[in-house]
Amino acid sequence: MAGGGGEQGENPVAINVVPMVDVIFCLCVFFMCSFKFKQLEGKFDSWLPKGKGTGGPSDSMIIEEIRVALYWDPSTQRTIRKMRHNTIIDDNQLESLITEAYADFKRMSKPDTPVIVDAEAAVPWDEVVKILNISKRQQITKFEFALGAAPGAQIPAVRPKPDEPK
Amino acid sequence: MAGFKGPEVQEEVPCNLIPMIDIMFLLLLFFMLGADMAQRDLEDVVLPQASEVKEDENVRGDEGTTTINVHHSFPACPVHGRTDAAGKDMVCREMDHWRVAIRSKDFTQDTMRQQLQIEADGELEDQVDPLAGKRLSKRRAMVRADRLAPFGLVQRIIETCGSVGLYKVEVGAAQPPKP
Repeated sequence: MAGGGGEQGENPVAINVVPMVDVIFCLCVFFMCSFKFKQLEGKFDSWLPKGKGTGGPSDSMIIEEIRVALYWDPSTQRTIRKMRHNTIIDDNQLESLITEAYADFKRMSKPDTPVIVDAEAAVPWDEVVKILNISKRQQITKFEFALGAAPGAQIPAVRPKPDEPK
Repeated sequence: MAGFKGPEVQEEVPCNLIPMIDIMFLLLLFFMLGADMAQRDLEDVVLPQASEVKEDENVRGDEGTTTINVHHSFPACPVHGRTDAAGKDMVCREMDHWRVAIRSKDFTQDTMRQQLQIEADGELEDQVDPLAGKRLSKRRAMVRADRLAPFGLVQRIIETCGSVGLYKVEVGAAQPPKP
């Protein structure tokens, strides 16, 4: 075909790539700014018991538990940790106390003994997770959270009189 | 020296844009694929660190998981995010500053119960549980609480989950950075 053999001059309309570069550059800047390295997250399974409510243990139950009590001191902004009448100074002491207590229960053939976290509402969540972590390290699989009155719960206005049947 | 002519200077040097476009396309693809749009489930919280935590394969929340975030939401708070003289994080205990959010929407205790009830009822187990005497939910509830959040709030969420039939509760923690 006449005039069909040219290569450079065949397409007389040049594509202007500059607007495309502009748009891609804008998109690049947008995604770069919104990019965030994701923190590695994990989880602790803490499935709730199916057949139990939030009631306390029955009176006849023998207490077989490893209980860690956490109190919040607002004046010093510190958490006070107690276990077996000991005020815990650091994580190592807490770990050794939990290990010791769990070893006692294992010796008594009770490896299912739970660790009960009895914490005040104001205690930072971090402190509770620390106990879960230490317990997991000791291969303890059962945890319980002690429930008190809900924070800000109202005391019922009408209470049964002492002589009334409950 | 009349008549001497130096080398011709090329006035217009064409700039080859093709390699630049290639690289920009690659960058664009990288950032587009790296941007996780499912993150709207997850509030910006600093999770407590735990070495024994198992890796969450369901972070995106697409396998029947309701993610409940407990986060601090009061930018003008004079305490949160600051450290004391000893370098320890200060802890905000103004309960109004702490929020419970599901999919970036804040809930009060009552509305949270309603929402969790809806989510629990949406995916019930096939059979009645003999211990509970009712059909429980097979949906998981993931509690992602800020490390400084009050335990009372988390406690209330777990209690609410139990009361609406969500018994598969998980608590989120961050893996400590590897040395």
